[in-house]
Amino acid sequence: MSEPGVGIELSHVTKLYAGQQQAAVEDFSLSVHPGELVMFVGPSGCGKTTTMKMINRIIEPSSGSITIDGQDVLSLDPNELRRHIGYVIQQIGLFPHMTIAENIATVPKLLGWSKERTNDRVDELLRTVQLDPAVFAHRYPKQLSGGQQQRVGVARALAADPPVMLMDEPFGATDPITRQKLQAEFLKLQADIGKTIIFVTHDFDEAIRLGDRIAVLSERSQIEQFDTPANILANPANDYVSSFIGHGAGLMRLALIPIGDVELDAPDSTAPAVDADASLRDALDLLMVTGAERVNVSGGGGSLTHARISAALSKARQPVEAS
Amino acid sequence: MSTRPSASRKPAAAPQPAAAPQPTAAPQPTTAPRLSLRRFATPLAVAGALAVLFLWLNTLTLDSIEQRTLNTSYLLDRTQEHLILTVVSSALVALLAIPAGIAAYRVRSKAVRAFVIALGNIGQATPAVGVVILLAIVWQTGFYTALISLVAYCFLPVLRNTLTGLEQVDHATREAARGMGMTPRQVLWRIELPLASPVILAGLRTALVFSVGVATIATFINAGGLGDMIVNGLKLQRYPVIVVGAVLVAAIAVLIDWAAGLVEDLVRPRGL
Amino acid sequence: MSGSLDVFLARRWEDLVTLTLQHLAVVALSLAIATVLGVLIGLLVWDKNVPRTAALTAAGIAITIPSLALLALLSPVLGLGWAPTVVSLVFYSLLPIVRNTVVGLREVPAHLIESARGMGMTPAKTLISIQLPLAWPVIVTGIRVAAQLTVGIAAIAAYVAGPGLGLYIFKGLSSLGSVNALNFTLTGTICVVLLALLLDGAFVLIARYSTSRGLRV
Repeated sequence: MSEPGVGIELSHVTKLYAGQQQAAVEDFSLSVHPGELVMFVGPSGCGKTTTMKMINRIIEPSSGSITIDGQDVLSLDPNELRRHIGYVIQQIGLFPHMTIAENIATVPKLLGWSKERTNDRVDELLRTVQLDPAVFAHRYPKQLSGGQQQRVGVARALAADPPVMLMDEPFGATDPITRQKLQAEFLKLQADIGKTIIFVTHDFDEAIRLGDRIAVLSERSQIEQFDTPANILANPANDYVSSFIGHGAGLMRLALIPIGDVELDAPDSTAPAVDADASLRDALDLLMVTGAERVNVSGGGGSLTHARISAALSKARQPVEAS
Repeated sequence: MSTRPSASRKPAAAPQPAAAPQPTAAPQPTTAPRLSLRRFATPLAVAGALAVLFLWLNTLTLDSIEQRTLNTSYLLDRTQEHLILTVVSSALVALLAIPAGIAAYRVRSKAVRAFVIALGNIGQATPAVGVVILLAIVWQTGFYTALISLVAYCFLPVLRNTLTGLEQVDHATREAARGMGMTPRQVLWRIELPLASPVILAGLRTALVFSVGVATIATFINAGGLGDMIVNGLKLQRYPVIVVGAVLVAAIAVLIDWAAGLVEDLVRPRGL
Repeated sequence: MSGSLDVFLARRWEDLVTLTLQHLAVVALSLAIATVLGVLIGLLVWDKNVPRTAALTAAGIAITIPSLALLALLSPVLGLGWAPTVVSLVFYSLLPIVRNTVVGLREVPAHLIESARGMGMTPAKTLISIQLPLAWPVIVTGIRVAAQLTVGIAAIAAYVAGPGLGLYIFKGLSSLGSVNALNFTLTGTICVVLLALLLDGAFVLIARYSTSRGLRV
């Protein structure tokens, strides 16, 4: 029962700070489909955060237009606008003097929801991010671990069920293990709620793992490539993108290809088995670890060899139309 | 008569939280350059106020009572008395309280520390006028009583600032110095004291400003100073006398605080 | 030369209680006024460079002015008694309160303000429901410092017929040489010290109970 995402359109958006020669963001145009998770990835200082913050007008664009669901955001009252856009930042920004429940209830209160409706929503959201309301609702932010705080941050952003979410390196400050866990939870959550999300990160692995599409940005927020993770890995548009991908592009791509997409050989019951819904990278990993010739796909009625995996990789190099 | 909070442009820290005394709490929100034109706004404003005061005086016709005090030699005498009380007491406080603070620090005894802090708290809660009058009652009236009560009154804040200033030196810095083979004495002189100097100086500055105020009430015990003018003016209902006395004493306080601030900034080790 | 203290106290304890309560009342009244005024000034200037510097500099200079001088200047205008006392106590309380309000508001981390604004809070709402509660512990500390300051200054205000324990301190001086001189000044001074220490303790409790639990845990 959550509101589905809506489209976002940025066209010719420029941000020029007073007294500076170069624009921080120059002539940025991009269109995001409803329900899509778009990653902005680029080195620090490239303008990716500035670009994102112009959407909820934390930073006002110098020129250009931004629409959400066809509506020009510059024509709206910025406060009213922001109450309908979820916003998560790296430092999380939970208000330390408010309980978890009060934090989550911030926007509903601004919108004048009834107490009952707000309380129900808080409980629902806490459960959504896997925190027991009975335990956590009346705690204060300091009493929570970093990972728990980050979940509350996401819950708070979702409080008024906004169709659009902006996320600025939300998992950047967590340790690698917590981050992976949060990312997995977040993907599951997004599969349920289908919000339109713009997600800023400097971590290319994160972009690959989470994004429906990735915008690779360079200085002044120039779009070097905007495509699906698989296409970017298979066909980097230029040297800049390749260098950003760095080493190990093949392995990253394998991780994106499900075993189900590959032609299989006859099953070999003596070979070690890999899950049918695993990726080719998992299959390769098993081959390496066990030293076997081939791995059997459990329940899938077939098996895989090294050669098959390589073939799948080179086949994927042919560009696939972005959906 | 006290102007209590230490270093007047730092945010006021809790007077004495039992655990961690912080004479200088948060960093200064604005940092002014060491020497700039703005630096001289204060003395210029004081000069302006004094000029207005004397222009105003010139428009008045003074009666004989007023003439007895509102003349150059009387004003100079009272100002001189006031300054001597202030400067001598502050110098004595510096000579006594800073070494005492260093000693209290080097003993590294929790009991000594707690005692100093508790004493500081009580000192802070004690009204200056009470100290001055008590001493006059049990001893005598006059200049020396005023001087001693001034020293007694300003001793504690400087002692406490010295102690806490030394204590707040970063542990790692101290350890690094020891690790390079400095003796405890070398650590004290080369590392701890320079790093603690802003806090110690802030304490001295507070003491100076205190002294100007307390020296004003020295008049109650016949120790002279500009307080004489204020008290006589009140008694005899001569407003011009009150105003001149009050403005002069205020000017001295503001200028001394300003000068101390200047010295504080010039002496502070670069990089702090 | 002094009369025995217990006889003195037995005869005058009611007097002493009245004076102590008066002392407390004038300090409390002045602090209440100064808090409203100081926090208001702080809210108005904290984010504007020039007014902020001007307010802090003015308050910083003001606090160096000896209190006897200020009281003397006020008395021809305001007369004697409560009026010049309250005005001068408010005057001296403003610096610590304004300064700590400004510092407290400025110390609120930028990302919390961005968070609040990003959720659609107006600047005024952000100031009142996010920044002010977060700055509150610092502001209370400022009021606490002001309390210490004013308890001592109120003792001097007795010279312009201000209310409170200063009366006893000065009575000792005016009866210098008499049997009870020491008793008057000593009891007056000690009661001021006790009042200041009690008030300080009270502020620790006030700070504790008026600050969100989330800032304490």
